[in-house]
Order: sequence, then structure tokens, then C-alpha cells
Amino acid sequence: MIIPIRCFTCGRLIADKWEEFVRRVKEGEAPGKVLDDMGITRYCCRRMFLSHVELIDEMLKYEEARRREGERH
Amino acid sequence: MKIEILELSDNHVRFILKGSNPAFANALRRIMISEVPTVAIDEIVFLDNTSILYDEILAHRLALVPLKMDPSLLELVRGESDLSKFQIRLILDVEATDGPMIVCSGHLKSEDPKIRPVSDNIPLVKLIKGQKVTLEAFARLGRGKEHAKWSPVSACSYKYLPIIDIDADLCDLCGRCAEYCPHNVLKLEGDKLTIVDPLSCTLCRYCEKVCEREAIHVKGDDTAFIFYVESTGALSPIDIVSEAANILKLKAEDFLSKLKSHLSAPEGEVDEEDRPD
Repeated sequence: MIIPIRCFTCGRLIADKWEEFVRRVKEGEAPGKVLDDMGITRYCCRRMFLSHVELIDEMLKYEEARRREGERH
Repeated sequence: MKIEILELSDNHVRFILKGSNPAFANALRRIMISEVPTVAIDEIVFLDNTSILYDEILAHRLALVPLKMDPSLLELVRGESDLSKFQIRLILDVEATDGPMIVCSGHLKSEDPKIRPVSDNIPLVKLIKGQKVTLEAFARLGRGKEHAKWSPVSACSYKYLPIIDIDADLCDLCGRCAEYCPHNVLKLEGDKLTIVDPLSCTLCRYCEKVCEREAIHVKGDDTAFIFYVESTGALSPIDIVSEAANILKLKAEDFLSKLKSHLSAPEGEVDEEDRPD
């Protein structure tokens, strides 16, 4: 749904690095390189980034539609 | 016992503990993980939450946000089993008035400026226009053995100091050990096999396996340990290690005083005190 605050396995704080990770990958950098750069070295933390799908943005679209519907009535 | 610090930064420390034994090293590690107290959000009163995350999901996220704490708090509760005398309040009051927004840990307002999230950029929830979150969170002291949110460390480990033995008489300088070593500990330079980075050796013993002449032997020194302690940001890594040592010392002293009182009192007259943790 939304990026977990910490790594499931080791407990390292990861959520504050998500935005930067997404931005840099979108700009064309290799995900592995970005993680190396940000100091995410363990594979438990790395999979948190590589396997995460930020579904909350999709969910918010429905909320947005519902809000507009409400405004119309 | 000797300590040699290899690396030290704001959130991690790597050091060698020499002249010790596995029991001590492991006691220190376990105390760092589960008994050094930190502050974490423990109770939340939701006044309003129209976001798409349920109250309990948001509460769980808030609890996992590491809070930077004042190390002097450690002295206040050292040796006490009840940590409930300390509590601070944090307030989150946000409304997306113009368009979508990300609610971050930076929006949390702490009563005490010394206790605040380690980073202001931790996303808690995303809101669309008109959605609102208002809550009061109470942060308390606790220990990792009760819940991992109170553990001051993320990674906290040690390994034996590697001892790599190369038998020069048997070695034919084939270089296979250097080629197969996953951490490039060995290097073949001309007609000499050198150990370039002994501390990176993970004791996997792959070099032993690939050596056809059994000329290389790797073992761990069980009196020397390479520690790696990574803080969540709540306390400095040095504070974590020293507090763990203090806790271990208190446990040993408590044990000694109990033992002495048993030896000095006549049989059957010893007070049954509360068990220490």
C-alpha cells in the first residue's frame, strides 16, 4: 500500500529514502546503483525497495472520484 | 580485554573486542538488541482520521518511527524494571486543504524538542484534498524484548576474528583460493600469496575447499570478535554499546548480592525478592 517505515527483517529505517529512490530511478539511474549510493547495503533492505508497489496512489484515485461525485450532488 | 574501533559514524560502529569470550560477546549483543531502553510511540488517541489508512495501520506506522532521545534519560531508568514514569506527547494535526499531500514525520509536533523523529521525511500517509488526520500520540520508554519498536539497533552482530593460515611448503601458488574468495581477502602477487583484507573474511572456507593441496586453513579466533552495531538513530552507537555494558554490570552485581545474601543467611530465612528481568 504505502512504503513500510522499516525493513521487515532488520528493522532499518527505509521509508524516508523511498521518494529519492523513485525519483532517481525515474530519471534513468539503475536501481541497484541508487541503493548503493544511499547506503542500503543489505539484501533484506534492498528487496523492500525493489519489490514495493506504491498502491496508495491508485487507491487515492478512487477517493478523488468519490469526492468529485459528492461535489456534483 | 581490549577494544579497537574500526569505523565510527553517526549511525554505526564497527569494533574489535579482543581478549574476551563468546559468552560475554553474545551477552553484550543480546542486551543491545533487547534491553537498552528507547522511546517509541505507544498509545494514540485519534480525534479524526478521514485518510484511507485505518486507525490501527496508521498507529502501527507511527509506532515504528524511530525517535531521537536524550541519552541522559538512560541514567534516569538504569536498573529499573518499571519504565512508565516517563511519557511525552506528540501531536499530529494535518488537513489537505489544497490538493493532495504526503503527511510526514516532520508534521509531528513534539512537546519536548529533545525527543523528535530521527528524520522529518518519513511518509506516514497520503491525503487528497479535504482529508484530515488529527491525533495525539504518547511516546514511552520501553525495551526491545517487549516490542521491536523499542530496540535501539537495526543490525547488531559479531563474528569471530578470522585466522587464515597458509602453509608455504604445501602451497604451489595456483591462485585458486584468491580467485574463488567471494570477498577478495587473498591476492596472488607474483610468487607470493598475500592476505590483503583479513577482516572481510566471513569464514566461509571456500578457499579451503578449492585448494587441492590443503595448504590453506581458516578458523575463527574465539577470543576476538568483530562487532557491527547499527543504530536506528534513537541513540548514538557508542551510547548503545556503553549502556549495554552498564546493564550487564548491574545484572552481575545483582546476582552477586543475591548470592551473598543466600550464603550469609541461615537456611530458609532468605527473603524471596522479585525476580530481576
